[in-house]
Amino acid sequence: MNTTRFAIASALAAALVLPAAAQAQGNMEKCYGIAKAGKNDCQTAKSSCAGTSKTDAQPDAWISVPKGACDKIIGGKLTAS
Amino acid sequence: MPGLRDLQAAFSAYLKGEDRPDLADAVVADTIAASARLRIHRHHVAESLATALGATFSTVQAIVGDQFFRAMARTFVVQDLPRQPVMAEYGAGFPAFVGGYGPATSLPYLADMARLDWALNMAFHAPLEGRLTAPDLTGLPAERLLGQKLALAAGSTLVWSPYPVDRIWQASRPGATVGAVSLEEGPAAVIVLRRPEEATFVSLSLSEAAFVRALDGGASLEEGAEAAFSVDPAFDLASSFARLLALEAFAALQQIC
Amino acid sequence: MRPVAGIGLRSPHLAEIARDTPATGFLEIHAENYLARSPAVLTVERLRRDYEFSVHAVGLSLGSIDGPDEAHLGRVAALIERLQPALVSDHLSWSIAGGRYFNDLLPLPYTEEALEVVVRNVDRLQRRLGRQVLIENPSCYLSYAHSTLSEPEFLSELVCRSGCGLLLDANNIVVTAHNLRLDAVAWLDGLPASAIGEYHLAGHAVNDADGEPILIDDHGSRVSQGVWAFFDEIVRRYGPRPTLVEWDTDLPALDILLDEAARAARALKVDAEADARAA
Repeated sequence: MNTTRFAIASALAAALVLPAAAQAQGNMEKCYGIAKAGKNDCQTAKSSCAGTSKTDAQPDAWISVPKGACDKIIGGKLTAS
Repeated sequence: MPGLRDLQAAFSAYLKGEDRPDLADAVVADTIAASARLRIHRHHVAESLATALGATFSTVQAIVGDQFFRAMARTFVVQDLPRQPVMAEYGAGFPAFVGGYGPATSLPYLADMARLDWALNMAFHAPLEGRLTAPDLTGLPAERLLGQKLALAAGSTLVWSPYPVDRIWQASRPGATVGAVSLEEGPAAVIVLRRPEEATFVSLSLSEAAFVRALDGGASLEEGAEAAFSVDPAFDLASSFARLLALEAFAALQQIC
Repeated sequence: MRPVAGIGLRSPHLAEIARDTPATGFLEIHAENYLARSPAVLTVERLRRDYEFSVHAVGLSLGSIDGPDEAHLGRVAALIERLQPALVSDHLSWSIAGGRYFNDLLPLPYTEEALEVVVRNVDRLQRRLGRQVLIENPSCYLSYAHSTLSEPEFLSELVCRSGCGLLLDANNIVVTAHNLRLDAVAWLDGLPASAIGEYHLAGHAVNDADGEPILIDDHGSRVSQGVWAFFDEIVRRYGPRPTLVEWDTDLPALDILLDEAARAARALKVDAEADARAA
């Protein structure tokens, strides 16, 4: 076994015996705990606006400007190009 | 008088957006026209499926706003109706659709946010059982450990993006305290995980992500480590591997018997 | 199951119900929300200690010419096997054609051909589950010119040929009767009383189609006064049954939903007391 392989094997083996406290710390840091409350219920209810509009769908052009949290996200390719 | 098969085929075509006067002819009209009665169903299908997509892709919806999202979702719905009735399992094709959706080209990160939403959704509905823990590997001879291949656990998904998807996700939460995020903050990788009471994700360094991606692609632990070192010679293999094991990111080993 | 009143369990209320276990007659879940091994289904399995359950499927598509999807049927059957609910139900409608699911309870023509299809599909479902299922009358927004049976005739014949039970949705009858210009009270005539296994109640919205009011079954408000009065008539005619209050759109605080169920319980009890006095 060469030096590199030996170093990898040693590191892997060391990972298996790291104290639980160190593992738990790794567990928490950089963790965006949420997240998904399973809110996508299948329903039998009709959409309450189902009867109203005479048109079937809004054309894309009508609302081509996003209006959400995207105004907080700036730069990147958009301004660089 | 149409038979049931023809009637259901005509109704399906109508719901997908086709003009079907034959269907309207089969519907009783009075002071409310047959077309107005049929439209209730067409609207409901589009609206309810767009709502279902909004629940699954809640980050995408928060980023672009409700109006834009609904228009985008309705376009997807008529192209790719569900194949089964579980709404939480609908939308596998949505991230790719978002990536090619013309009006959203000014938001190049949006498809990756959809991938993150989808991965969180899948993790939430994945079984909790069958996860690898450190003791499962303890005592393996060094050669076996180096050659060991590990699959990701059910619900574990690596999302790797040229954009800072973790920061964008944070900034898109309702009541987020994170201010502006610059796309210049550059590439990011996260691993999405099923936890006992929820789905979550954890940011990875790019070397850790290379390690996970190699293993996910069928590489051995040794090959995975080499992939990570090629990204960052200072990769801390012991700490990263310990952390991934503590997160129960990997599937239990197949029983050999 | 005794003729008590319960509520539809919706995921935003799940944690609160698991924590407080408020008093209510039973809980009804939609099968399609609990087919994966999510934390939600584990919570429901724990809640079986505290509540009786009804499993209401929304996606078996018992009116489809090609029958229910075999894979989906298998998943629903596995859930029912695990939960052993007191009641199992789905709708008189179709939602799948050509392998695509429309997420809508689409209307059937009430013809002999459609009846044979639904009988065959219900029979397959009941054999697969090894138990009787209840079939619910849908809310209708249109009817077909070539229908030869009325909806109650179709349902009665379905009961007769398949041995299924009926889930009478009082709100759906009111919505259908208004939208199709029928008499809701006459709709109730001649139903097979012993087959009725459950009642549903919900709110509806009034909307506009071609400038005329049309009722939309949106489950988005309290039960209307008209539907409460109609429910009294149903209970007078057919007696008390397990009764569920459904609410989906603009889901309110749990207390409001429990309050609606309490009112339904009073409506069931008033009738029982009247019976006792008569006897």
